[in-house]
Amino acid sequence: MTAFLAKLGSFGLFVSSVARASVTNPPPVTRTIEEAYRIGVQSLPILLIVSVFVGTNLAVQGSNAFAQLGGQSMVGTFVALAGVREMAPIMVSSMVAAKAGTEMASQIAVMRIQEQIDALEVMAIDPYWFLVTPRMLGILLVLPALTMISVAAMLLSAWGVAVWQLGLNGSDFIAQCAQTTHGSDLFFGVIKAFVFAVIICLVSCFYGYTSPKGAKGVGEATNAAVVVSAVVCAVLNYLLSELLYG
Amino acid sequence: MNVPDPIIRLVDVYKAFGSLVVLDGVTMPIARGKTTTLLGASGSGKSVLLKHIVGLLEPDAGEVWVGDVDMAKANARQKLAVRKRFGMLFQHGALFDNLTAGDNVAFPLVYHSNKSAAERREVAMEKLRLVELEDFYDTPTSSLSGGQRKRVGLARAIVMEPEVVLFDEPNSGLDPVTSATIDELIRRMQQQLGITFIIITHDIVQAVAVSDWIGMLHKGKLLEYATTEGFVASRHRVVREFMDRYIDVPPLHDDELLDP
Repeated sequence: MTAFLAKLGSFGLFVSSVARASVTNPPPVTRTIEEAYRIGVQSLPILLIVSVFVGTNLAVQGSNAFAQLGGQSMVGTFVALAGVREMAPIMVSSMVAAKAGTEMASQIAVMRIQEQIDALEVMAIDPYWFLVTPRMLGILLVLPALTMISVAAMLLSAWGVAVWQLGLNGSDFIAQCAQTTHGSDLFFGVIKAFVFAVIICLVSCFYGYTSPKGAKGVGEATNAAVVVSAVVCAVLNYLLSELLYG
Repeated sequence: MNVPDPIIRLVDVYKAFGSLVVLDGVTMPIARGKTTTLLGASGSGKSVLLKHIVGLLEPDAGEVWVGDVDMAKANARQKLAVRKRFGMLFQHGALFDNLTAGDNVAFPLVYHSNKSAAERREVAMEKLRLVELEDFYDTPTSSLSGGQRKRVGLARAIVMEPEVVLFDEPNSGLDPVTSATIDELIRRMQQQLGITFIIITHDIVQAVAVSDWIGMLHKGKLLEYATTEGFVASRHRVVREFMDRYIDVPPLHDDELLDP
């Protein structure tokens, strides 16, 4: 318990240092663009593949569930509700935590053990500003876009399965989706994406920044970054759904 | 100890990590424009002391004066201002892996000068020339040898033309020939640039070769601190044991030695 509270306190100090660095100077532009590009490009292929197959499965499972009730026409509603409101934001955040979050943690951890962070400080360059703020802005720019891309891929693949495999009417499917999903759902998805982006970046950078020495330390930091990010995002997803839709 | 015109003054500095006391009341003035070396065995607290000077660590008690700023009490802004007066060569170079040798050297200029990319390249090239690596500007740091990494690190340390350059174990991990090259480079650069060099090392040969002042840290205390001539004549038992193995000094009888 003491160790947990100490970690929490340490995280609080880290967050306040990042906040101070963020308001002191704007993030370095070139590095922000690099980070946004890297996070987006790195995560996109895996994200598309997973989104497509989650969409297909939602359609199949929706069809199975509603077929027994004689309501196959509800598949579009089911896919839209589950996919747009819940699956896409949490799935994208988990993917990005696994791809980009682990990279953030491991890169910063290696810089820590190779004294590159000390070197930044001695060169009078605030490491929070140099290392964390461009990653934060980069992921904030990219994660909402990735979430929307995931929504599109999921709906498209579900539509494909509904029409070509399940033999449902494509226009009806689209009409159900449109009826169920409103602009506010997409907007709430973007809000969730922003929150998850902040969590993934802060948690991953924190574990990298405070990494113990040695290869084992880097491994532990990377592992902790993805586990803690994913768990916190899952819990927040529930709380945000309650807040936004409850 | 009477050190003329000190640029840095550590006054009664204490530092402990948990129950381990690392610095136990160290008082040490450091002369401006000279080379001062702090010797000590591994774990004697040398690196910790160096990190206090640049404000990477704060003492539990005591003062660390750099000019008129006490780094022990300085806020973040004051520390940044002081650090702009420093350059530091890290033990393993601490070069950024994603940059070339030249871009590593030019790195501080990107953030602390208004120079154009061409001007930064010119300045970095000039510093690389000083360490005889001008042909390696575009070489990735991963392709450099240990000695070359140290020299690039040294070029980066002096690129902002600092008042003080700190060296953390500049010869560790290097073969004797490369070590001698680094020693010669330090000596030559100190003469050319006239800036304050502070070196921490366990290499007594290097200390004697390059220093104006030498101190010895032992179990967190500054056991001996004198000019190089005075240090070589030290009667402290621990200092003699440290020296006798590596450099040729006249032996002393047991009853002439001072214990800590």
